[in-house]
Amino acid sequence: MAPSTQFEVSQPPSDAISAVIFAPDNTNRLLVSSWDRNVYLYEIAEGTEDATLINKFEHRAPVLDVCFGANGNEAYTASLDCSVKRIDLATGEQTVLSTHEKPVRCVVYSPQHSMLISASWDHTLHVHNTSAPASTPITISLPGKPHALAASPSKVVVAMTARLVHIYDLPTLATALSSADPASANITPWQQRESSLKFLTRAVACMPNDAGYATSSIEGRVAVEWFEDTAESQARKYAFKCHRQTAPEEEGGGDVVYPVNALTFHPVYGTFASGGGDGTVALWDAEAKRRMRQYQKFPDSVAALAFSNNGKYLAIGVCRGFETDMEDFNSEGRTKVFIRELGETEAKGKGPK
Amino acid sequence: MGKKKRGHPDVEELLARPWCYYCERDFEDLKLLISHQKAKHFKCDRCGKRLNTAGGLSVHMNQVHKESLDKVENALPNRQGLDIEIFGMEGVPDDIVQQHNQRIITNFYTAQAERHAATGNPPPGQAGGQGPAKKIKIETPEELKKRLADHRAKVAAIKANGGVLPVPVVAPKAQPASVSPVTGQSPAQGASPLPPPQPGFPYPPPVGVPGTFPPPGQPGVVGAYPPVYPPPGATPTPPGAPGGPGFNLPARPTGGALPQRPPYYNNYNGGAVPPPGAYPGGASTVDELVSGAARQGGGAQGDEIDQLIRAAEQGSKPPARAGEDSAGGEKKGKSKDKNMRMVYGDSEVSPEEKMALLPRYAVSAA
Repeated sequence: MAPSTQFEVSQPPSDAISAVIFAPDNTNRLLVSSWDRNVYLYEIAEGTEDATLINKFEHRAPVLDVCFGANGNEAYTASLDCSVKRIDLATGEQTVLSTHEKPVRCVVYSPQHSMLISASWDHTLHVHNTSAPASTPITISLPGKPHALAASPSKVVVAMTARLVHIYDLPTLATALSSADPASANITPWQQRESSLKFLTRAVACMPNDAGYATSSIEGRVAVEWFEDTAESQARKYAFKCHRQTAPEEEGGGDVVYPVNALTFHPVYGTFASGGGDGTVALWDAEAKRRMRQYQKFPDSVAALAFSNNGKYLAIGVCRGFETDMEDFNSEGRTKVFIRELGETEAKGKGPK
Repeated sequence: MGKKKRGHPDVEELLARPWCYYCERDFEDLKLLISHQKAKHFKCDRCGKRLNTAGGLSVHMNQVHKESLDKVENALPNRQGLDIEIFGMEGVPDDIVQQHNQRIITNFYTAQAERHAATGNPPPGQAGGQGPAKKIKIETPEELKKRLADHRAKVAAIKANGGVLPVPVVAPKAQPASVSPVTGQSPAQGASPLPPPQPGFPYPPPVGVPGTFPPPGQPGVVGAYPPVYPPPGATPTPPGAPGGPGFNLPARPTGGALPQRPPYYNNYNGGAVPPPGAYPGGASTVDELVSGAARQGGGAQGDEIDQLIRAAEQGSKPPARAGEDSAGGEKKGKSKDKNMRMVYGDSEVSPEEKMALLPRYAVSAA
């Protein structure tokens, strides 16, 4: 058995985690954004079982999402103060890229097109050309409030309220962005879909091979779909239940259903991990439609997940999960970041049966 | 059926329990006994394979491990032999069965007497003026012991008489009519005139029909006579039990209890209850009760053992599968019904939006 170890980051954020992500060019570097208004930059010390806090970048408001830019020294953040920011991780310099009318929920960077897309609760997407930071972003209005965003090499998937899913074609966006008058460009979605899940979408993740994506909902369910709009491909899509627990009989039995907060695909094997409010992380083989493994329960809800660029590490952001009617929500002291070093074939699927 | 005495099974229930020849442990049902034997006595200590019989284990040891089995594991010192082929309750020698049953009965009555002494409750049947229904009760230990003593005396008398039955010696109370012919052909344990009970095979209905009932006291037809005593496991309150108040033999056919028996026994078709007709003339003594119980287990022949194993295995598998099915069905039903609780149930507003509204996350002015 190849070794697989797991350790806890010694200086975790002080409040709930909104996102974790690994650098595109550095396996050991990761960012964690938190509701405590900070973005944390960690580096896993090679050979040891710890990740040291390199720096933290304070914001005016809780940070709802973070992503790396073109390299491991550049990051973009989405904040509750409605701004999309670029952070130079080396100098700590923060520049505001654009300002939405409402808090910004997600940011995603497309390295293939040097584009940053931000989604805000003001029902818009902003598409920024990061190679020309001063340029005005394209604003795309959405029919619903976006809740999750993910990019594949050629597509970006936006999941919204009312089970709306829009898929935009990145090359089209890039063309529009480089046109003479980006602001007037009329951008239409490449595809408009209805979510396969009946409940509010919680997370979206795209397959690294550009074939499709997975979505998850607050109702303990994950759906896997394919981009290709042919009958065969659409017939392949499926959804399954997960992150549920059987309630004890004395509480009336039935299932306690947890939201699936996080999804992330393995960059090499194309398998994916899901993290739920039940504090578990499961590895799934999308092709074989099988659960490959389920890791030992974490002390709290799993809020965020990320594989490193080579799939060696899996970062798991654990904090108290927001549940219905939680007016006193507070994740202080309960926030942890775990890093799992995967064995050679731990995340390798067996392929379709 | 009569009210169950909580925690204190009847002696018939105790006698009906299957037990292990090798270690004298008793079990709820035959299936458990068989799995016990496979796990404790017929398990190969080399590879853990569980065989069905000691002979099977011996052959396995010989062929697979090239070793010879000299004794049965975990068995009582005098029961380690390989010469007896035991499977469940099959193959247990009659004398052992009798010993076992005698022990059970002794223990039962000792325990019962102790209970009565401890609680101060009167023995059943002597509760005093609780209506006619209460009158028909099983015998008290005193009555049983008395009858046992009677029987002993009788047997002694037979022996003293050179094996020939003397003139009835038993008190008239103890149904002389049916006892005498029985003692003539008894104690021939295991020599039941009826075929041994087959597992899972419906028992023949009682032969006694009220209309064709012979006049009591006629020897020779007693074989067709329903037992006065129920076999072990049968009703604890036999109508017109000897010693009971108002015992009247000729009254029995019209007593109503007899014609009702067939449905009663039907309930036990799968169980180890011997056919009512298996005890001609009725077992009037404890010894005969014991020997009757012995027939339960001792009836089957050794060469039928394979068949029995197969039958038992078949018998034990379907219920298990049915259990799984029902469990699966239940599970399905559970997921179908809306009996689930979502930890976060708002399908319009995301948790983040709710969190954003909390004062602690308000955007600072700076």
